[in-house]
Amino acid sequence: MAKFDLTTRNLQFLDRHLTFPLLEFLLSKDIYDKNVLLNFILETVNKTNMIDYTTDIRQRLNLPEKMPEELQLKRQTVLAKLKELQLEVEPLMKCMEEIKTRDTMKDSKTLISVLQTEYNIKIDIIQSVYKLAKYLYECGNYTETTSYLYICLMIMQPHDKNYLNVLWGKLASEILTLNWQTALEDLNRLREFIDNSNFTNIQVLQQRTWLIHWSVLVFFNHPKGRDLIIEMFLYKPLYLNAIQTMCPHILRYLSVAVIINRGRRNALKDLIKVIQQESYTYKDPITEFLEHLYVNFDFEGARMKLHECQTVILNDFFIIGCLDEFVENARLMIFETFCRIHQCITSQLLADKLNMEPEEAECWIVNLIRNARLDAKIDSKLGYVVMGGQPLSPYQQFVEKIDSLSVRSEALTELVERKNRVKNQEGESNWKYYTN
Amino acid sequence: MSRFFAGGSDSDSDSSSDDGQIPIAKAPQPVQQPIVYSDDEDVKRVVRSAKEKRFEELSNIIKNIRNYKKIKDIGSILTSFEELTRAYSKAQPIILKEENGVIPKFVIRSLAELETFINQTWDDKDGRKNMSKNNGKSLGTLRQKFRKYVKDFEADIKKFRENPDIEGDEDEAEEKQVDEDSSDDDDESDQQTATAATFKKEPEKITKPKPAPKDDDESDDSMDWGSSDDESSSSSDMDDAADMRLRFMKKVDDKGADKDEKPREKKPKAVRPKKEKIEEEPEDNEGWETVPKHGTSEKPKMFAKDAEIDVHVVLSKLNEVMAARGKKKTDRKLQIEFLQELKSISEQHNLGPAILAKIRFNIVSAIFDYNLKISEPMKLEYWSKLLEVMNELLKLLLANVNDIVLSEAVTEETEEFETKPYRLRGCVLTAVERLDDEFIKLLKECDPHSNEYVERLKDEVTVTKLIEQVLKYVEVQGSPIEICRIYLRKIDHLYYKFDPNVLKKKKGLHDSKTSVDEMEKLCFYIYSNDNTDRLRTRAILSHIFHHALHDNWFQARDLVLMSHLQETIQHSDPSTQILYNRMMANLGLCAFRQGNIKDAHQCLIELMMTTKPKELLAQGLIPQRQHERSLEQEKVEKQRQMPFHMHINLELLECVYLVSAMLLEIPYMAAHEFDARRRMISKTFYQQLRSSERQSLVGPPESMREHVVAASKAMRHGDWKACSEFIVNKKMNTKVWDLFYEADRVRDMLVKFIKEESLRTYLFTYSNVYGSISVPYLSEMFDLPKMKVHSIISKMIINEELMASLDDPSETVVMHRSEPSRLQALSMQLADKITNLVDANERIFEAKQPNFFQRGQYNRNQGNQQGGGYNRQQNQQNWNANKRQGQRNRKNVTFQHQQQQQQQSEEKLE
Repeated sequence: MAKFDLTTRNLQFLDRHLTFPLLEFLLSKDIYDKNVLLNFILETVNKTNMIDYTTDIRQRLNLPEKMPEELQLKRQTVLAKLKELQLEVEPLMKCMEEIKTRDTMKDSKTLISVLQTEYNIKIDIIQSVYKLAKYLYECGNYTETTSYLYICLMIMQPHDKNYLNVLWGKLASEILTLNWQTALEDLNRLREFIDNSNFTNIQVLQQRTWLIHWSVLVFFNHPKGRDLIIEMFLYKPLYLNAIQTMCPHILRYLSVAVIINRGRRNALKDLIKVIQQESYTYKDPITEFLEHLYVNFDFEGARMKLHECQTVILNDFFIIGCLDEFVENARLMIFETFCRIHQCITSQLLADKLNMEPEEAECWIVNLIRNARLDAKIDSKLGYVVMGGQPLSPYQQFVEKIDSLSVRSEALTELVERKNRVKNQEGESNWKYYTN
Repeated sequence: MSRFFAGGSDSDSDSSSDDGQIPIAKAPQPVQQPIVYSDDEDVKRVVRSAKEKRFEELSNIIKNIRNYKKIKDIGSILTSFEELTRAYSKAQPIILKEENGVIPKFVIRSLAELETFINQTWDDKDGRKNMSKNNGKSLGTLRQKFRKYVKDFEADIKKFRENPDIEGDEDEAEEKQVDEDSSDDDDESDQQTATAATFKKEPEKITKPKPAPKDDDESDDSMDWGSSDDESSSSSDMDDAADMRLRFMKKVDDKGADKDEKPREKKPKAVRPKKEKIEEEPEDNEGWETVPKHGTSEKPKMFAKDAEIDVHVVLSKLNEVMAARGKKKTDRKLQIEFLQELKSISEQHNLGPAILAKIRFNIVSAIFDYNLKISEPMKLEYWSKLLEVMNELLKLLLANVNDIVLSEAVTEETEEFETKPYRLRGCVLTAVERLDDEFIKLLKECDPHSNEYVERLKDEVTVTKLIEQVLKYVEVQGSPIEICRIYLRKIDHLYYKFDPNVLKKKKGLHDSKTSVDEMEKLCFYIYSNDNTDRLRTRAILSHIFHHALHDNWFQARDLVLMSHLQETIQHSDPSTQILYNRMMANLGLCAFRQGNIKDAHQCLIELMMTTKPKELLAQGLIPQRQHERSLEQEKVEKQRQMPFHMHINLELLECVYLVSAMLLEIPYMAAHEFDARRRMISKTFYQQLRSSERQSLVGPPESMREHVVAASKAMRHGDWKACSEFIVNKKMNTKVWDLFYEADRVRDMLVKFIKEESLRTYLFTYSNVYGSISVPYLSEMFDLPKMKVHSIISKMIINEELMASLDDPSETVVMHRSEPSRLQALSMQLADKITNLVDANERIFEAKQPNFFQRGQYNRNQGNQQGGGYNRQQNQQNWNANKRQGQRNRKNVTFQHQQQQQQQSEEKLE
């Protein structure tokens, strides 16, 4: 199963702290050797200030119970440093406390002016706040980090050299505190910032690649994420480019998102184009499933791939939550395509293709028919499913074609007339368009 | 004789040997004594006495007179004669004092000669008639004046005429004196006239080792002092030779001198050599002995035998030689030889690598200079010499790669030859680039089907090696920009070569480095280090070409798409555009081999649409109609042509294009038989079809095109067997398919595609006669696996191309009779058109939004039109910009046509 595991690829683009959930997740699966993994985690953790986590990992590794000297020492220095930083920012915090209730909080400009005039606080102090937030983040205290960073964002100017870092930090800590709504807001803010600032091409590509990976975390957890992920990855050419050049493996998540999003079937066509284009650089059961189903119409192949897909999804931290949805929708897709092509199918075959028992399949189809999503009848004597719905006769096609025409033309004339009226009313003032 | 005229103006090899006598031209400057002649005399300065001064003056004037005599410029002779009289009168006191009143022999001799000359000219009545007015007048005056003047000398002249040979030693001594003087003079004028001097001394030097014809100059040289001065030194042969010469001179000189006066100084130089060549024979007959040659052993004397040769001396010599570079009068051939001599001298004396490198470098540039016309290739002998010298130079440089700094940035002043690190001015990179260009020129000159071409092509290896060496050198020494340049050169020699190891590697049979890896390395360096767009563009294009050549379709395609070259290529220079076209052609072939028929078609359509791919790929000029291009233009275009070994087979290209067009077009035609909006996918393909339809009797196919047309006809009936037989047979194999590296694979793939597309065509064409068709039957009929048939039919159903559905239990395709009747079809079309109209209305309305809105709208529309991928290539080649216009016109026509149709159908409906 390690073949389709993307963790190593994903980790390159994630923050150290964001990797922990992924690694912990991997621990629960039997893909890699546990001790190796734990050692790896320990190594990573050592680079942070999360002393408690370190000890925890050490325990799990069955290392000697007693804390090594340096860890003790480190804890002390960390605490001391924290205190020092907190002292530094104290005046600002006090003021913030005081003006919290006022509506100055809403606008960063007024807030700054109030702070400067009324409380005589230097704006440079914000750098200390930033440092403190960073330090807290290092220690794993994400909730506090978010609040400090919030203040940073209020007071810092966008051209500050740390502004980008603050945005990233905010997003990371929101994700780690599982605060999806704010995370999404931060994500959008960050995206705007990246798109609008002038990095070099390479830098911007790198930033986007990071953003893409981080956003996967958000999108699969936020209720609206499934639409947004399609919107961002597939229909924003800049991000699609980034995916194609830097991380084609993201196509897996995009495919899953498209498959489970029943409302956006038309995105499928675009997605398949991308998948085909990238098929030589990236391939996994999920993309292959789509290819089999929509490019080659190889239902047998699609069925096999669907089977593989389940294991892949089970082992992927990002999409494990969508497994059931995915299977359901994938089946539906197979079935839909099937129905469009066939007019009569044996229920045995159908069950085969859908990876189900015949009884179960029949039940499933009955449900579909009952929900009026399928125009079909079951011939239980022969075990057939007979599709209903004859294709349109040319006459009907014709009627359909001209149906909307008159409405559209009328709407158009209406518009023209209305405009005309407006123009007449405005009279002279309209001439300015022509004199320009 | 033809050589005569050809050689004359060019100062060709033979004629140059006579240049020793140029003094005529240079007469006013008494710089006969070569400066290279570093005799002792030359070195130590003599304080000149009054006598010397006067004598020198006299001898100068005499020299002038002699020269003028040769060119029969009587006007000048007259003036010089007057000068002579004046100078003589000035010198008289000294003569009286120091020579006891004896008139110097050389004066007497010159007077005697002058007399003879005047008499001769005067007697030659015809000649006099032909003389210009000016000259004729002068002659009269001269004769009179001379007679008057000569009276005083009559006795001496008489004495002289009686025994002209007596003068011997005496005269010689005097001459020596004169020479000494003049050489002194040289020293002074050295700085200013260095060029002239250096030039002049060479010929004389180098004539000797040459087995070239000997003339009277040789006899000169055989005398001790080997100076080339003028005939004054060779007094003995003067009488005869002069006469001889005069006879020959007349022919040409009369014309040259009389016509106009100005170029006189130069002309003789050009003309004389010819004369002398004629002279050779008579002279030989008259028993002038040729001086025995010592072959190459007797090298031109560069330095005196005992002169100390060190870096400075050599260097100053080198500078002298090189100073003549680019001058009109410089004999480039001699220059090369002289440099080579210098090289061997410095080699003998072990002057260190720097000076050797410098000299070699100068030889290289001298060889480059040899050819005056840039458009013409250099001579073969020089080419081989060039390769050799270049090779030596590079070996030397590479051996001392850390000690010698050879760069354009080093100025003449800061050059350092003696101590490490040596610093030299120059650029091997430019030299090797030039060499490469020359090589291409040479290749283009050969007939590509001859052995000669093959012979030349063998040098490719050497050139590549040279480039490789320079690359090594530049990698150590050069700046990134220079490295980019040499890399690109290497790429130029690499990108079109097929390396079978790449394909082996793909199959895991080979694991060392291949040319693709090499290419990757070079190109990536250029991508990241180049700051001129041109190099990068060329590198990308070559890179894509190379990928395409080795069937790396995806990489090649991605590079094309990522580079966005399609949008900008029309702004680049023609040679880059040619490379772009070549790349596209190759990409198309690659796509075809990889079975991406649609992509192949799209890559090639742009090239084939124009019907002149040959020109677009720079693989030959199309015979022009009615002077479409001027001679100039033709010349320029000829220069752009690709050498033959880099050509892409045009027949293969066309065949691939037509076959892919067939595979796309035939099913499309079948599917849209009644569709009025049907568009042609490929115009060229249609043309082929139509031209075959026009024939009253179609015979069995002969050419490649006929084969494709016949195949298309078979495919229209769904007869895949006939179709594939037309495409893949013995004739086509030898003509086309065998040109592919993995021909069998391509053929198999082709047959597979033919089967599939035939199946589709069959279903489109005959679906209305079937109620249902069994899938196994179809699979048998088209020799395709059932799965494949199933998948093809499914695709057609999904895409709503085929109104049918599958019946699984009976394994049949059930057709839904939905073919519209004629009336229905027409009304459908009408409905479509009305829909278009409504759409257009809406668009117009949108466009009529207020101004600020309009612009954005416009841009957006444009963006949409441009669309993705290959479509952007349309109208790219700006060297046939008119094509674009043509297309637009055609569009208009079809639009009008459609409108008419619409009207007709409306009428019918009513």
